[in-house]
Amino acid sequence: MPRRKKPGGRQRARRPQRHKNVLHGQGGHRGHDFRCVGCRLEVSLDAPGTTHRNHCPNCLASRHVDRRIPGDRAAHCHGRMEALSMSVRPDGEWVIIHQCLSCGELSANRIAGDDNALALVRLALKPLRDTSIAHRTLLAL
Amino acid sequence: MSTRNKPSLSTPHNTLKVDTFTCAWCGLTVSTLATDGTRRNHCPACLRSQHLLDHVEGGPNDCHGQMTPISIAVLRTGDWMVIHRCVRCDELTSNPVCADDNQLILMRMAVRPLAQPPFPLEAFGDL
Repeated sequence: MPRRKKPGGRQRARRPQRHKNVLHGQGGHRGHDFRCVGCRLEVSLDAPGTTHRNHCPNCLASRHVDRRIPGDRAAHCHGRMEALSMSVRPDGEWVIIHQCLSCGELSANRIAGDDNALALVRLALKPLRDTSIAHRTLLAL
Repeated sequence: MSTRNKPSLSTPHNTLKVDTFTCAWCGLTVSTLATDGTRRNHCPACLRSQHLLDHVEGGPNDCHGQMTPISIAVLRTGDWMVIHRCVRCDELTSNPVCADDNQLILMRMAVRPLAQPPFPLEAFGDL
């Protein structure tokens, strides 16, 4: 799924993504893939469209290992992070908001090219699924 | 000699005092308590907030950056929460939606992903 680009629109020079050297555990071996905490899928770190893959492409679950900077591995929580909501950057890129189930911390991560499209759209439609609140909001406009 | 003054304890808490703050973005003067009695931390007109609390470490934060609403989250109870992001330090917070919040901005955030899907949504017709 190609990244959407505005035809003829002004393209701002963007900071290239930092290369991420993932060290798994205290032993410090280079990680090449990880096992999803939600669905136990073996996931490769090479993701199309992003160098910071931090969630399972199948169930969008993640793990709380980073604190402020992606890849710093400074959080000691190691809780499971569930996809909470979908946000959109001004350039139209979807960003998943994760919430840690054990400490409630929030984090944001861009979607990858091989993420499950059905799970992404289900997440994006979550606010509209409960029709009573959506109706009330629409009527109050 | 027990003449210690405890003014904070002796004076009853004045519940009728209206506590207000001024929105740093749109300048609206907002009462701190919403109509249903809950404390609010964002402006009901523009939904923007200010980064005063540190949510990673806990305690106050001296960032004071502007926090813009970026998305709507849904609790298990079905209530909406607003996800704020600090424009200075990229901190994320989630806050409950008040009844008098700007419904246009809320609805715009809720349908925003569908306006710019990263893949054609027509593909879901084949499922």
